[in-house]
Amino acid sequence: MFSFALKNILFYKGRSITTFILTFISAILFIVYVSMMDGSHDSMLKNSLKIYSGAIEIYHKDYRDIGGNEYLIRDVESIEKKLSLVDGVELFSSRYETYGLLSFGDNSMASMVVGIEPKKEEQLTQLKVALVDGEYLKYGSQNCLYIGSGVAKRLKVKIGDEISFIGGASDNSFVADIFMVYGVFKTGLSEFDDSATFVSRDYFDKLMLSKNIASYITVKVKDLDRVDEINSEIIKLLNDENLESLTWKTLMKSMVETMEVDSIFGYISLSLFLVVIFFVIMIYGFINVSSRIKEFGVLRCVGLSKKHIFLLLFYEIFILSTFALILATPIAGYICYYYSINPIVIEGMAEMYKDYGIVSDEIPFSFDIFTISWNISLIYGLNILSIIYPYFYINSFKSIEASRHV
Amino acid sequence: MIKLQNVNKYFYRGEPREVHALKDISLTIDDGEFTLFSGASGCGKTTLLNAIGALDSVNSGKIYLDEKEITSLSEDERTTLRLNEIGFVFQAYNLVPVLSVEENIGFIMKLRGFSDSEIKQRVLEVASMLEIDNKLLSLPHALSGGEQQRVAVARAVASKPKIILADEPTANLDSKNSQKLMDMMRELNIKEGVSILFASHDELVKESVDRVIYLSDGALVNA
Repeated sequence: MFSFALKNILFYKGRSITTFILTFISAILFIVYVSMMDGSHDSMLKNSLKIYSGAIEIYHKDYRDIGGNEYLIRDVESIEKKLSLVDGVELFSSRYETYGLLSFGDNSMASMVVGIEPKKEEQLTQLKVALVDGEYLKYGSQNCLYIGSGVAKRLKVKIGDEISFIGGASDNSFVADIFMVYGVFKTGLSEFDDSATFVSRDYFDKLMLSKNIASYITVKVKDLDRVDEINSEIIKLLNDENLESLTWKTLMKSMVETMEVDSIFGYISLSLFLVVIFFVIMIYGFINVSSRIKEFGVLRCVGLSKKHIFLLLFYEIFILSTFALILATPIAGYICYYYSINPIVIEGMAEMYKDYGIVSDEIPFSFDIFTISWNISLIYGLNILSIIYPYFYINSFKSIEASRHV
Repeated sequence: MIKLQNVNKYFYRGEPREVHALKDISLTIDDGEFTLFSGASGCGKTTLLNAIGALDSVNSGKIYLDEKEITSLSEDERTTLRLNEIGFVFQAYNLVPVLSVEENIGFIMKLRGFSDSEIKQRVLEVASMLEIDNKLLSLPHALSGGEQQRVAVARAVASKPKIILADEPTANLDSKNSQKLMDMMRELNIKEGVSILFASHDELVKESVDRVIYLSDGALVNA
C-alpha cells in the first residue's frame, strides 16, 4: 500500500503539490504565529518586570499585610551579602518606601516616596528610560525628587519647582523637607505614574533615619524561567522565618491574571487557526476523494478491503505531510530564530501601548525547539485526522455503485 | 460450482418506481464452464453477474459458491471472497492508472500475499498467454483499448480465481480485438480450468461460449 500511495502521489502531481503546499504553508504560519505569540507574551512579562518590579522581592513577613515601621528589614547589608552568593541572581537593590504628603501651592496629594539607589535601579528597572522631562537621579542628589507624570500633573509642577514633603521616619518621628522637582517619568502604568516619587537613597536615609533599613529588597534574576528555583535558593540561604521572598507570580497577581486572560485569548485564536487549517486540508482532501470515487470503487470491487483503503489514504497524507513538514520546519524554525535575535520593530508601538505595560517597539519571537516540535506534531495529527471524514464518505458507497461513479 | 436458489433482487423496493430486477432465479453453473448471460439491455444480466460476484446483495434466495453461501456474508467477508476467489473484467477496463501493466496484473496477487518471485513468474506467464508481455513496463494510458482489456483479463486471471466475471468485456473493442480477446479467454478457460461468466449482448461473445443463459425482464428464459 505504501508504494501504491507513493505512486498515486507522483502520478497525480497537481493534487499532490496542492496538498503539499497547503500543509507547508499551514505549518510555517502556525509555527511562526505561535512563536510570535509566545515571544510577545514573554516580552510583555519582561517589560512589566523591567518597569519597576524585580523578579523577586524580599520583605519582612508582615510588611505587606500589616505594614508599618516595625516590619521593615533591619539588616540590609547582611541580606545583600547572602544574595550575592546566590547563583542566578543578577542584581539586587534595597528600597525604602514611605507614604507622605506632597504639597505645591494650593495642591496637595499623598504619594509613595521611595528612596532608591539610582545607579542600581538604572540597571534593574526602566525608571531612567521612562524619563520624559528633566534628569534622572544621581548618587548624592540632594533634595531632588524624581516624580511620576501623574503626580506632576496633579501638583501642577514643572522641573525646578519646590515641593514640600511631610512624612514619618523609620523611628516614627515626623519628617518634613523641601524637594526640588528634578525629573519626571512616565512608565505607562498609570497607577504607578500617578502616585510614585523617588529620592536618592543616600539622601533619603539621612532624612528618614533608614540606613541599613529597607522596606524590601528587589532582585533581578539572570533567567526568568528559573525564578522559582532561584527563589527557593534565596529562602534557603536567608534562613530567617521573619523574612519572606516572593516571586513576581505572587507579587503581581493582577499581571498573572492578565497574562492568563491573554493566554486564553491566545489559545482561542490558536484553536481557530487550527480549525481553519484542519478544514482547509480536510475539504481539499474531501474534494480529492470525491474525484476518486470510481477509482476506489474499482479497487473495492477487485478486493481491496476498507482497511486497505484507509491505509492508502493514510500513506498518501502521511508521505505528503512528512515531506511538507521536513521542509517547513527548518524554514519556520529559522524565521523564529532570526526574529528572536532581531525582533520586528514597529515604530511608536510602545507609545501607543504603554498602558498595557509595553515599553519597547520590538516584537521578539520565541525560539523553542519543544514548542516547534509540538506545533509540527499538531499539524501532523490534523492532517492525519483530515482523512477520516473522506474515508467514511468513500465507504458510504457500495463498491459497485462507486465503480460506476462519474 | 455456482448455485442460485430462488434469487430475487429489487431496486427501490417499496417505492412507486420499484423494479424487480431478478425474478426467482435458480440455476447451476459447473466448474470450468464458459457461459454467457444474454438478453436485451436492462434484462438483469449485469445485476445477476454482480450478485454472483458478491458485489451486490439480493433481497431473497441463496447463492452458493461451491458449498459456501455468499448471500449471508458481511461486506468485509464479501470483499475477502472477491479478493480470493473471483476475478473481474469490466467493460471500461478499470485498470489502476498509476501502476504499470506488470503491477496491474500482479496487483491482486500482491494483495493476497503472494511472494514477489511468484508474482513475477505468474505475471510473465499470463502476459505471454495474452500477448502483452512486451508491454509490461507501460502505463495503461499508453495502451490501445484491446491491450488494456487484455491487461484487465490478465489481472483477473493472474491470482487463479475460481471464477471470472466479465461484464460486457468487448463493448469498447472492435470486432478484431473482440475476437482476439474471446479466443484468449477461451484458451485461459481451457488451460486454467477457470469458470468464466459473461454478461453481454455481443453476438461474437454468444458464438464463442459453450452455454448461453437468456434473461428477459429479470427472469430466466432458459437455463
